[in-house]
Order: sequence, then structure tokens, then C-alpha cells
Amino acid sequence: MPVDYILTTCPYCGTGCNFFLQVADGRAVGVVPCKTDETSAGSLCIKGYNAHAFVNHSDRLTHPMIREGDQLSKATWEEALQRIASEMKRISDEHGPDAIMVLASAKCTNEENYLIQKVARAAIGTNNVDHCARLCHASTVAGLLQSFGSGAMTNTIPEFENADCILVTGSNTLEAHPLIGTRILKARDKGAKVIVVDPRDTPLSRVATISMRQESGSDVAWINGMINIIISEKLHDEEFIAARTTGFDELREIVKNYTPERVKSLTGIPEDDLVSAAKMYASADKAMIAYAMGITQHSNGTNLVRALANLAMVTGNVGRESTGVNPLRGQCNVQGACDAGALPNLYPGYQSVEDAETRSKFEHAWNRKLSEKKGMALTNAFDKALTGEVKAMLIFGENPMMSDPDIGHVERAISKLEFMAVIDIFPTETVKLADVVLPAACYAEKNGTFTATDRAVRAVRKAVDPPGDARPDWQIACDLGRLLAGDGFDFASPEQVLAEMAAVAPIYGGIDYERIEEEMVRWPCPSKDHPGTKVLHTESFKIGKGVFAPIEHTPPAEETSDEYPLILTTGRNLFQFHTGTMTRRSAKLQREAAGPYVEINTEDARRLGIIDDASVRITSRRGTITLAARVTQWIRPGTIFIPFHYAEAAANRLTNNALDPTAQIPEYKVCAARLEKA
Amino acid sequence: MSEFNPNILAFCCNWCSYAGADLAGVNRLQMPPNVNVVRVMCSASVKPEYVFKAISQGIDGVLVLGCHIGDCHYLTGNHRTAKRIPLTAKILEKVGIDPRRVQLDWVSAAEGEKFQQVVTQFVDDIRSLGPNPMKEVRF
Amino acid sequence: MRLAFEERGADYLLAIKEAHGQAAPVLLRKGDDAGTMRFDVPYQMTMILTNISRFIKEGRIAVVARRCDERAIAELVKRDLLNHDNLVVIGLACSEEQIRECRCTDPCPSSADIGHCAAPAKEDQAASSIQSMPLPDRLDYWIDQFRKCNKCFGCTLNCPVCFCDDCLLEEKTFTPEKGIPPGLAFHLIRAVHLADKCVECGECERSCPSDIPLLALRKMVNQDMKRMFNYTSGDPERRSPLLTTLEGDPMEDDGDAC
Repeated sequence: MPVDYILTTCPYCGTGCNFFLQVADGRAVGVVPCKTDETSAGSLCIKGYNAHAFVNHSDRLTHPMIREGDQLSKATWEEALQRIASEMKRISDEHGPDAIMVLASAKCTNEENYLIQKVARAAIGTNNVDHCARLCHASTVAGLLQSFGSGAMTNTIPEFENADCILVTGSNTLEAHPLIGTRILKARDKGAKVIVVDPRDTPLSRVATISMRQESGSDVAWINGMINIIISEKLHDEEFIAARTTGFDELREIVKNYTPERVKSLTGIPEDDLVSAAKMYASADKAMIAYAMGITQHSNGTNLVRALANLAMVTGNVGRESTGVNPLRGQCNVQGACDAGALPNLYPGYQSVEDAETRSKFEHAWNRKLSEKKGMALTNAFDKALTGEVKAMLIFGENPMMSDPDIGHVERAISKLEFMAVIDIFPTETVKLADVVLPAACYAEKNGTFTATDRAVRAVRKAVDPPGDARPDWQIACDLGRLLAGDGFDFASPEQVLAEMAAVAPIYGGIDYERIEEEMVRWPCPSKDHPGTKVLHTESFKIGKGVFAPIEHTPPAEETSDEYPLILTTGRNLFQFHTGTMTRRSAKLQREAAGPYVEINTEDARRLGIIDDASVRITSRRGTITLAARVTQWIRPGTIFIPFHYAEAAANRLTNNALDPTAQIPEYKVCAARLEKA
Repeated sequence: MSEFNPNILAFCCNWCSYAGADLAGVNRLQMPPNVNVVRVMCSASVKPEYVFKAISQGIDGVLVLGCHIGDCHYLTGNHRTAKRIPLTAKILEKVGIDPRRVQLDWVSAAEGEKFQQVVTQFVDDIRSLGPNPMKEVRF
Repeated sequence: MRLAFEERGADYLLAIKEAHGQAAPVLLRKGDDAGTMRFDVPYQMTMILTNISRFIKEGRIAVVARRCDERAIAELVKRDLLNHDNLVVIGLACSEEQIRECRCTDPCPSSADIGHCAAPAKEDQAASSIQSMPLPDRLDYWIDQFRKCNKCFGCTLNCPVCFCDDCLLEEKTFTPEKGIPPGLAFHLIRAVHLADKCVECGECERSCPSDIPLLALRKMVNQDMKRMFNYTSGDPERRSPLLTTLEGDPMEDDGDAC
């Protein structure tokens, strides 16, 4: 047929919108929204409408390459795969398998992530496998596991529309998760109260009922402050607290000290706003919390997540429709990559690698002795590369040279490695440093599944052939697995991979291709006749009772000084995505937000003599970048914001790699910086 | 409170109205100071987009002046103007902007006095309408 | 299918069918298995048709079209953007529910091949309630609505009569705002560009993720066009009054099709 419409899942954020790729003459030429899709309901954001644009781009990697001196030269698949396998074997023999770090990818499918972690665990023999969830929601997984027993979004995207109150914090929802943001708008139009807490005025905060701007890094204070007001106004849900939680008394003791006056001095939030927000949230029948990187990317990220869980449990807003604590996951399949076990401490389905019984189950399934030792987090791997403990990296579709904090540090670490192989679709900043490069197929060129932020498992369908010799990651992982381990990697299709994953990960137990072809299933789905789960923790928490965590405010790892007087925070804009690999190769998106910029408050700009569009230099303790100023009243004085999409002025040259002790997530959201005219 | 001095944009066609404005100047006719004249080749080149942009950014009033019907240097250029400027004003009204903030009139090269009258009247009209509410709006 | 291929001699049929549990656009050839056809989901068929016709060099395409599609096709044919000889129109009468959703005053296709014509809606409540607001309230209302815009361009991309290759709305000159929302001019420019073309299919409002009442705005502007020029878009015979002289003689297009 000259023109086809292939239903697939969007490759950008974690919302999981489905759309039709319009294919003509073997090329992806357009996108048509799917009217009947539950998530997107016939709408898309600008990135979705342009999701076909990068697929045919001339920069796509089309053949394997091997480094010879300073150059990457064309090679055959046979040569390139053999080279990777022999280097892996050599390094494993010389230094042990734990000298190898494998990075999986939140842009790859569930099946691919399953295979990648299996390559690490069963073929190489290490638990050193991680992916960019470490950089976004590691603290969510850790924090919500401790509070509720499950690290995922408690409710689903469509439920936003029916909430009575929605508290959004650390999420620029209308830009970063546009179709979740617009659900919040729909709720607002129906009369729901929307509370936004963010150091920047976001497009959502401008239409919110209450908008509060806190100082970056002071979040525990206002959350505890709200709980304190709720308890003293007797708006807490005593029945829920008694029946379903533990640790309330300790929490009550701690939050007592967070009076509105004290919260104001710590956060800058006016007392009246805090009181109204607390009452608004607590008195709503169905109140939802949505949050993202503004909460998680702190050196106390896990505690912040737990503080939000406290707030929800105090008011009984867990376990019912349109309530809950809802982390908005940033990548199309970051939820799935976690589910599939691309984490150093967890097997597929969130089963601990340190638990002997679980390990023996996987040893039996994979017919292999497995490592007992918890693996290394992505953020530690680069430190360990500098000290020589990590000798090799195998990187599937990640770009740490842009995405990780303190890029200078990453660069030095990579230069110490004996071997690095990168599998990607474009020549990223990381690809340029690799010893072997393999060209991968993108989302439009392969079959598989993505798991959206609300645990919905959605089909990705092949619409066009990959360019040149590029191959899907699942085939590459199988090839590497076979070369390294012999057996256990003989899969003919992603369908067979998901079947194996479902057999070992009970939350996916009932999910198979037959169902995914026709319906959207949300895990947990333990059996074929199980309908999937919309709302988590309805009867009881996964760990029995929900656990309140008494948490004190602590200052961020880095504070301002005379030399570095501004707080730098980073994030996304609507038109670009992450390291820009795909969006900066999409003409219409690039036109909307072409180059790097820093948002600076009008007052600060006046004081520093900076006008709009002027070139400015920003320096932190780790680096310097030069970019254009965007003078705006939408950011708090004293705070500056840089989107991290732009390689020519990479925000992560500046950011701090101070880590959360539990989740090892870096503090992207707070670093001290200086701004001057360039 | 100081008196409200409206900020006015007047698009004048090169062949008639701009010459009319010139004549008014040569004759030293008294003119309100708050009018910024933009010379365009034909009133038909004043696209609705320009008017919308001006009003969205807080300009208090937009005056479009062209040749009298029949006198257009490009024969029927001002026919286009005659249709789309009133439509532009109507559309502004639909979203809550007073349509009187956009006005169309014809001024020939010989009508220096008419130019003065039209401009003075328009400035008075806008003064009585008050400032453009869009001035205070930040999207 | 039979109607398209056998009776009306089409080479292709553009319709909506059931696929993966969803309603999906599909292009079929004679003899293809159509599966279950869906007529209940209002995809913008004219927009899909114009996108397809770029890739089909030969043959006639049958399209399942509602009344608004017929009128949109008329607007495109008038501007030489679509060739009527290559089309076979199969009329789909809208359901009562659909008419209600679009507040549609002209729902019945010239030949109702599928479904039965239902009564048109009387007036648009949304438009009349906005019209009845005093100007300052009306402005506040729209500013609140337009603040919800996150510039997805869904209203232009899915619009059957929005056809420029280079869209003015993508230019910083006219929408200077950095980031979102794009501000008032964005929506006003769209309103004036569509004034002599909009067929009130309602797709802009349907595909707007933020529920901005764009159809109400379209309807209000269309009423003005009717009052000022006695013109209704979608009339295959009449040239747009914005492209004629005061006497009604055709004028050259001024260089940009919008």
C-alpha cells in the first residue's frame, strides 16, 4: 500500500501517548493522533507531532565502527561484535566481571532492557547494570518502596481529570509531560483546585489556583509545614492513619517545629499561601500529588519523596481513584527499564539481587551462577573508572557526556577506560569517544513494548526499516549474549523475550503480546485473566502498612557564597528533549528553541546590567559555559535556570555530582553559580 | 494621576496618506505627539497580523490610512484593505478588545487638514477608551 | 467498500477501521480485507486525504466524508490544492451525538450514503455566552483560555483548510513569545487566516489537549463573515470576499495563500 498508518507509542516522555506513524514509500512522513487512545485522547504535544522528523535524518548511524587511533572506521557487524566480546572477556578475565559496567537505556523497549541486564548478569556475570533512571527517579523508586512498598506511580494518567485537588511540585508538567499537564487543566476547568510549588513560574503555575515559589532545596520544610497545619487544623484522616499506617507519632513530633513562620524563613513561601494550600489539599475529597525532577534530583531526594508520601498518607489520599503520589517519569520507557531489571540491585520485577531465594530462582531460570554482590550505580561508575576499578563500559543508547552531572568529570573518567562500546542511533557526544560503535534501530524500526509512567504496557510497532545496516538493540543484545555466554539468548522475536520476562517477573506475569496487541494493560498483572491494576494500595500497602518517615529539613549539598551567589537549577523546555539527540534533528522543534539560554530574573538582570539575549558566562565550582540570557519575571530572584539540552553550552558542565545517600541520584537542581557578562 | 497619553501606531500608504501627513507637517498643523507613523507602500500591505501583533503587545490604537477608493496607486489595493481591516477589528472584539482601537480611513495627498482631523480625533477616541488592557497582561 | 470500488469506480478507499482495539485511518485497495469499519470516530478525513494525495500519483481515491469534509474539499478545490476529478466522495451523515458535540448547523452531506441525516443544532451556547460577556470579562476569559495553550500546533496540523507550507505562526516576528504559552496574537492570526475558509468541522477544538473553545471562536468569526460579506465558507461556487474587489471582481492573491 502506498500509504500506511502504524499505531505505535511516542518515543519522548513517559506519558505513553499512542499515535499513528504515517508511512509513505517506506519512509515515516507524518504523525496522526489516535482519537480512541485512552492516554492521549486524540491530542499530542509538539514533540509527538514531530516524532517522525528525526527518523530519516542523514546523521543516523548506518554501519558499525571500530576505533583506529583517533578515527572511527567502518567495520562489519562480525568484526565489531567480536571485538566487543573479546574485550569484555579479556577484561573480565584480568580484572573480574565487576570491572565492567553496562548501561541500559530508557529509550529501549522492555524486551531490550531485559536482554541487556541479562547480558550483564548472565553473560558477563556482574550486577553492574544501570540506566538513566539513576538520574531522574532513583529516589522515587527508593523512597516509595520504603513508604508504600512499590516505587511506581500509584494512580493513572486519566485519573487526573477527576481529582478535586492536584498538588504539583518540581514538575513543569505542561512542558515536560504536556498531555499530563493538559489533564490537570481539564480538571481545573471542571473546578479542581491546582496548587503549584516551584522556584520557577511555569506555564501551569500561571493558571493554578495557588502558586508558591520556594527556594531551591528547601522542599522538606514546606511539606512538613503543610502537614503541621493539617494536623493542627485537625484535617488529617485519623481513621486512615490508624488502620493503614505506622509511625505517625514520630512524624507529628517532627513537623511541630515547622510553623508557617519558620517555613517562610526557610523557603520564602508566605504564611498565608502555605495555610491556604494545606487546607485546600487536606479538605479535598480526592487529592493527587504529581511530582518530577524538582523533588527527586536532590542530595536528599529519597527523603523528599518520602515527605510527599507522608503528606498523602496523613490525609488518606492513597489507594483510591484520583488520589495518590504520582511520580511523572521522564522517558518513554524509564518505567519499563526499571521494571525489566536494568538496576544494579534489582532483578526484573523489583526482586532483590541480595535475596538468596530470589537469586536461586533466577539462577535456575537462566541456568547460570549469578553474582551475589549488588552492582554499581551509574553515578558511581564514573568515579570508579577514575580510580581504575571499572575498566570497560558497554553503553546502550545513553549519552552520559551530556546527561550526567559534572561532564568534565565524566570525560576524565571515560579517558581512563580501557574499552568503551556504544550502541546508538546518532553520533552523540559519547559515541565520539567510543572504541566500538554499533548502529541501532530507533523506535519506528522495531517491535517491542514501552511501559508508560502509569505502568501501562504499550506496543511499539515497526513502521519502517532501519537505515543502512542498523539493527534493533534486542538483536544486538542477543548477539553479544551468544558470543559471551553461548546459550540463553536464542530469541527469534521480542515476543519471546517478553514471555521469558513475564515468567520471572510476577508483576508482568499476565502480560503477553496477544493482549498488548489489543489492549492497554497496567502492571501489576500477575496472570492472563487479571485485568491489570489502575490504583495501587487499595486494600493495603504492598508492605502491609504505609510507613511515615520523620524527616528533617537539611540544606542542599552546595550553598551560595560571595563567589557563587546564585542558585542554578536545570530542567527541560517543551520543544527539546534531554540531550537533544533526536529533537535537535527535528526542524520544527529546533526552530522553536534553537539554542542554549539561561533564564534570569528581571531584577537580577538589572543589577548585573544584563539585557535580554545578551551573551553571559556562567561559572560553577566545576566549569564555565557561555550562552544567551533570557530575562524573565517567571523565575525567582537569586535563581537561574538552564535547560540541559544543548551540547554547545551543556548545563551539566556546571552541575554538582553530590549524591543522595540512598538512591545515588545527583543534585541537578541546586548548584551555586556566578553569572557575568561575556 | 498623570493624564493617559496613548501610544498610537499609524500606517500610512506611500502614495496618498503619507503625502497627506507630509502636507500637514509643511502647513504646520497642530498634531498630537503620540502617533508613530509607519510608511507602507500600500494600505493593503498592512496585514491583520501586524495589527494583532501591535495590539497584543500593548499599543493603544492602530490607525490605517490609505488612498480613497478609486485612487489606489495599485488600482484595487485599498479594496483589500477596506475588507480586511474591519474584519480585523471585529476579530479583536470577539476576544474582548474594543474594536474602536483599530480604525481605517482614507486620506489623499492633498488632504493635510483631514489627516490632522483624523489623527486628532483618533487620539481623543483612544484617550477616552483608556489604556489597552493587553499592556498589563503577561502570558 | 462495494460502493466505492464497484459503483463509483475508485482505486483507493480512505476510511476508518478497527485495528489494535483502536479506530485507525486506513487506505484500502479493491479486494483488501477491510475488517470492521468504524464511522463513529470523527477523524479529520480531509486533512488525512490531502496528506495522502501527495503520495498517490495515479488513481481515484474514495473518501468517507462528512458534510464538513465536503465543504473543506470545496475550499481546497477552489484554491487548486485538490483535484475533484481524482476524488470519490462517500457521504457520511453525522449522528445526533456528533452534531451536538460540534453544535453543527449544517450536518447533512449532499448524498447520505452512510447513516441518516439528523436535525441540525440551533446555536452554539458556548459562542453566545462568550458574546454576551462585557468586553473586559471577555478578554479575561480568553486570556485564561489562551494561557492553557502549549503550542502543540494541533489546531493547525489537523485543520483541513490550513494549508500553507510555511506557517506564519512559526515565525518569531508574529509570535515573539519565547516558550509557551504563545500569547494572544497566535490565536488571532489563526482566526483571521481561517475567516474565509473555516468549515466548522471542530477538529481544532477536538484535538486541543487543553480544551480551548476554538470552535466557538471560529463560529463567532464566521458569523461576522456572514454579516459583513454574506459569505459562508465551503461554497464551491463563491470566491472568498477577501480575494475580490468591492465590486466582487476577482483579485490576484497577494502572494501568501493565507
